[in-house]
Amino acid sequence: MGALLRIQALATNTFREAIRNKLLYTLLGFGFLMIASGVLLSTLSYVEVDEILQDMGMSAIRFFGAGIATFVGIGLIHNEVDRRTIFTILSKPVSRSEFLIGKWAGLTFTVWLQVALMAVAFWIVSALAGAPITSDHFVAIALIGLELMVLVAIATLFSAFTTPMLAAFFTIGLWMIGHLTRDLQALSQQSDLESVTMMGTWVFQLMPDFEVFNKTLEAVHGLPIETNEIGLAIVYAAGYTACTLMLGTMIFSRRDFK
Amino acid sequence: MSFGSREIVRVEGVVKDFRPGFGLRRKRVLHGVTFEVLDNEIFGFVGPNGAGKTTTLKILMGLIRPTEGRASILGCDVEESKFRHQIGFLPENPYFYPFLTAREILDFYARLSGVAGSERARRVERLLDLVNLGHAMDARLRTFSKGMLQRVGIAQALIHDPKVVFLDEPMSGLDPLGRMEIRDLILSLRAEGKTVFMNTHILSDVESICDRVAIIVKGRIRHQGKMEDFLPDDRRTTHVLISSLPPETADQIGESFDLEMRGLGERLELRVAEKDVNAVLEAVMRVGAEVVSVTPHRNSLEDVFLDAVRAGGDA
Repeated sequence: MGALLRIQALATNTFREAIRNKLLYTLLGFGFLMIASGVLLSTLSYVEVDEILQDMGMSAIRFFGAGIATFVGIGLIHNEVDRRTIFTILSKPVSRSEFLIGKWAGLTFTVWLQVALMAVAFWIVSALAGAPITSDHFVAIALIGLELMVLVAIATLFSAFTTPMLAAFFTIGLWMIGHLTRDLQALSQQSDLESVTMMGTWVFQLMPDFEVFNKTLEAVHGLPIETNEIGLAIVYAAGYTACTLMLGTMIFSRRDFK
Repeated sequence: MSFGSREIVRVEGVVKDFRPGFGLRRKRVLHGVTFEVLDNEIFGFVGPNGAGKTTTLKILMGLIRPTEGRASILGCDVEESKFRHQIGFLPENPYFYPFLTAREILDFYARLSGVAGSERARRVERLLDLVNLGHAMDARLRTFSKGMLQRVGIAQALIHDPKVVFLDEPMSGLDPLGRMEIRDLILSLRAEGKTVFMNTHILSDVESICDRVAIIVKGRIRHQGKMEDFLPDDRRTTHVLISSLPPETADQIGESFDLEMRGLGERLELRVAEKDVNAVLEAVMRVGAEVVSVTPHRNSLEDVFLDAVRAGGDA
C-alpha cells in the first residue's frame, strides 16, 4: 500500500511537470492542425472522402502522441538527475523501481490525456464533415493509447541510462521498427537462407510489435475489430511494458548519481 | 559487521573508484574510509574541496555504490531502502521543482515519506514556520532565493521526523543570521535526541556545535575524534604584542622561554604558551617595554585542519 501511495505521489508530480512542458503543447497544436487538415486532404478525392479524413485524423493522433511520449519521456529521468532533484527523492523510502514506475505512470497519464483531447478534436472534425463515427473508432484510439503506454515505457528505459538525444534516437528507432516487424518477418520468410528466416523471427520476437495496436484500417472502413484482438493487445501492452520497466529498473538500480 | 549499541552510522573500509570518461583509467576518490557516528551526537565531516565528503555522503544515501567496503545506517546496509523513513537528507545546493510552492513540495516529500494525511498538513506548516518560511508558504519555488531554497531543503529533510539527519553544507547560501538560526536548529535536533551528520567547510560552525569530527583529505580520513581531542589545553597560546623592547632583552626572553617571535614593524609579537604568560610579561615590563595587547589564542580546528591538508598534500 505504501509503495502505491509513493508511486501515486511521483506520478502526480510527473504529470504536473509534464503539462508545463512547452513542447507538449507544440506537438498537441500540430496534432489538432493535422486532424483538421484531413478535411482539406479529403477534398482532393472523389471517393472514400470520409475514410481519408478519418485515416488522416487517427494517424495524426498516433504520430503526435508518439512524439509527445518520446520527446517528453526522454527527459524524464535525465532532468531529475541533471537538476539533482533525484537526490532528495531517493533519500526518502522510495526504491528505484518505484521511482521509475512513478515517472512512467505520470507520463502515461499525460499522454493519455493528450490522446483524449485529440480524440475529441477527431470526433468534432468528423461530425462537422459528416463522416460516420462508431464505437470502433474509439476502440482504435484506445489501442493507440495502449501503444503509447508501451512507447513511454521504452522512453523511460532509455532515459534511465543514456542522454536525451540518444534516448530519442533509440525510442523513435524502436517505434518505427515496431511498425515494420511484421513486414520484416514476412520478407525474411521468403528468403531461401535459413539464417535470414531465423533472424526475421528473432527480430519479430524481440522487437515490439506496434501493429498489434493498429486497428485504424478496420475502424475507418467499418470492418469489425474482434474482441480477442483487443484482449491480445491489452495483454501484449501490459507484458511488454512490465518487461521494459523491469529491465529499466535493473539498469537504473546499478547507476551511480555523481 | 558488528554494530555497537551507540553506533548509528558505520563506514568501514569504503573505497570508491570513478571512471572519468569512456576508455579512461579509473580514478580512486576514496581510499578505505572508516568512521562511525554515535547516537545523539553532531558529527562534523570536514575536508577541502574534492576531498571526498560528498561522495561519502552519497554512498550513505545509496546514491552511489562503493567499489569496496561497507556502509550502514541504523544497522541496515545503505543499499536497502527500508530504514530511509528514519533518515533525512539535505544535499548541497538543493534544487526543487520550481513550479511547486513551498507547501506543495513539502507535502510531496511527506507523501514519499509515508506521513499520514491528517498529520501532513500540520507538519508542513510547523516546519515551514521552523525554518522561517511561514510567510512564503504559498509562493512558487522559482521565486525563492538561494538561502530560502536551503531552508526548504532543511525542512524537507525533517518532514518525516527522522532519527538521523544528514546535512551537506547546511550553511551554504545563508546570511549570518540564517547561519545562526540553522546552528540553533541543529543544536535543537540534538536536544530532541536526533543524530546529525554534517558536511561543511565552515570550521567555526564545526567548532561551535560538533561533538565529534572527522577530517578527510584526498579520500583518506586524516583525523577523527572528539572536539576536545583536537584542541588539547596545552596547545593554547597567548599572543603578547609589545613595543620598545631592546633587542638583547628579546634575545634573552627567546632563550629563556619556549615561544615564537614575530616582528610587526616596530612592534614584536610573542606567541607564548599559556603557562609562561605571567613570567614573560614580568620580564618584558622589568626592562620598561610597553605591553600593547595580551590576547589569549586557542589553537583552532582550522590549525589542525590546515596541518592535515598540508600532510595530505605531502602524502
